Amino acid sequence: MSTKHSIAAEKFLQNGERVTRHDQTFWSVRTKRDTLAYELDEWENLREAADKIKKHTVTHLADYLEQFEQNATRNGGIVHWAKDAEEYNQIVLKILRQHEVKKVVKSKSMLTEECHLNDHLFKQGIDVVETDLGERILQLMELAPSHIVMPAIHITREQVAECFRQKGIIAEHGTHAAEGILPTGEDPNQSSDPTFLTRAARYHLRDNFMTAECGMTGANFGIAETGDIVVCTNEGNADMSTSVPKLHIVSMGIEKLIPNYEAMGVFQRLLARHGTGQATTVYTSHFRGPRPGGEMHIILVDNGRSSILGNEEHWQTLKCMRCGACMNTCPVYRRTGGYSYTYFIPGPIGINLGMLKNADENYHNLSACSLCCSCDNVCPVKVDLSTQIYRWRQNLDGMHHADAMKKAMSKGMKVIFEHPNLYTSSLKFAPLVNAMPKCLTGIKLNGWTYGHEMPVFAKKSFHEIWKKQLRSESV
Amino acid sequence: MNFMDTKEHILNSLRKNVRETYDMPELSFKKRTFEDPVKAFIETTITTAGAKLMEIKPDDDINQKIREVYPDARIIASNIPGVEANLNPDTLAEAQELEKTDVGVIKGEVACAENGCVWIPQTMKEKAICFISECLVILVSRKNIVSNMHEAYERIQFNDYGFGTFISGPSKTADIEQSLVYGAQAARGVTIFLTD
Repeated sequence: MSTKHSIAAEKFLQNGERVTRHDQTFWSVRTKRDTLAYELDEWENLREAADKIKKHTVTHLADYLEQFEQNATRNGGIVHWAKDAEEYNQIVLKILRQHEVKKVVKSKSMLTEECHLNDHLFKQGIDVVETDLGERILQLMELAPSHIVMPAIHITREQVAECFRQKGIIAEHGTHAAEGILPTGEDPNQSSDPTFLTRAARYHLRDNFMTAECGMTGANFGIAETGDIVVCTNEGNADMSTSVPKLHIVSMGIEKLIPNYEAMGVFQRLLARHGTGQATTVYTSHFRGPRPGGEMHIILVDNGRSSILGNEEHWQTLKCMRCGACMNTCPVYRRTGGYSYTYFIPGPIGINLGMLKNADENYHNLSACSLCCSCDNVCPVKVDLSTQIYRWRQNLDGMHHADAMKKAMSKGMKVIFEHPNLYTSSLKFAPLVNAMPKCLTGIKLNGWTYGHEMPVFAKKSFHEIWKKQLRSESV
Repeated sequence: MNFMDTKEHILNSLRKNVRETYDMPELSFKKRTFEDPVKAFIETTITTAGAKLMEIKPDDDINQKIREVYPDARIIASNIPGVEANLNPDTLAEAQELEKTDVGVIKGEVACAENGCVWIPQTMKEKAICFISECLVILVSRKNIVSNMHEAYERIQFNDYGFGTFISGPSKTADIEQSLVYGAQAARGVTIFLTD
């Protein structure tokens, strides 16, 4: 029995060049993170602190949320509470309707993906323009993100150029964007130069910033003591989205709250270093109230988070700050791509969050882990990601999703391990397999030979060597 | 379910589901500092942050320095006294009027050596000037440079505008095949004017 992940991964792996590029791209980000880690003697102190601050905050979250609401309200913000995606989408729509909004410019927010906000608004006739370059490319191509921080990294420059041509962006902005970037005489319609394409997107998005009536952002952090919403970007798109329109709507998962600025110092130093291997994002913006003559709405969204807190084995996923480091380091993610997973967040954290959201739909992703534990070692807030995946696997049988063949094998092994004589004779005869023709050992039933050669059994088992030689030597 | 019900529902659910509580940790561990934070800030700014930097002497003419760095600028926006500007973000009716700004001149209050961040509290009616300008000149005093973000967060101040941002160099993106491009949505170039 194959999981949906392994089936999708097999397709992804058919294009070797793409797999190598994908793998190297994310490994280079991991390497940059390492370089920054070695620069700081206090690296492990920071991770330790981040882990403890998050543990403290999520186990006092009700109090901190009340404090945050009080301060944000005092600052002139309007705070809303949403228990699930449906209520959240309704609140957003209501605010937009009250302000007669026709177009929203939006900076990247995984929470809005989680709640399928864009579809909901499109159906109501409201245009939503993603303003992060990667997100905008995907939106124009009608694709979902394949990574939470670098959502469109799997798309080639040629595909971007083709998409921009089809959508008329090159026709409208190509000549202007080519100025000073493309050599004179080069046809903008033929170019797939990343600087040129980024410039064309810049002008295209400028038009949208100028005309939208509302800017929506997510929140990297909420600060209870001050009521600040902190948004970190490299492009400045969250700031553009909130500097021109007068209406600002923030969507924040309740677990994004931290107590104060002292804690913020720790997280600011960790987020970009882990996520993209930069010492900081270009912009770390603190929103403490509406702009002059404007309104700022903050929607605090639960959508299952408060019940995760009660889950003894998995509550620590609430510490996650969505930096993406676990994906960048994961050997399975790097070689199978974001679309091989059934949940919209891929990689180690996505495997766990998907299980918490809907185990029956997302247990397929549990096979996307080699238990190398690298994710545990890079996570800035020390979520025990692979240990949690291991725990889910132990419970698969109870959920009736255990692999039938592996179950049969485990039963067989149990018999062998419980009977020493049977074990010894099995070992003795194992080398006979070496002499078997490949057509017998290479059959599909034998998972070991799928994708690699059957291992050669040693003529003498360790058991035998130990009995005959080593034991006497060691005495 | 109405608004109050939802809020109570979420808070009750959180309180009910807490199993074990944890204390806020002590954060007094040693943090990276620089012997010469000014030198380190300059280095970070012109390398990883991707900005330019000019050291300004007390008797330098700031308007001449702006023209030196951005000789082709036609529209300059600023509300800083003494800066010759065509647009003033305090007196504009709408942020859109800043759209064609070539150079925005703004003031930073705290700068951080480890990552090139400069704290810019909103001190103008239209903060769009900080993002919409093609290029930014950020004035910051060498007296206000700290080593790391912990020190920066101890220093930053808010005013009634209720907004402030750390900016480290020009707007960047690597969303197309990981090629680093300056000037995604906000300023394409940043020059730090380091004053006394």
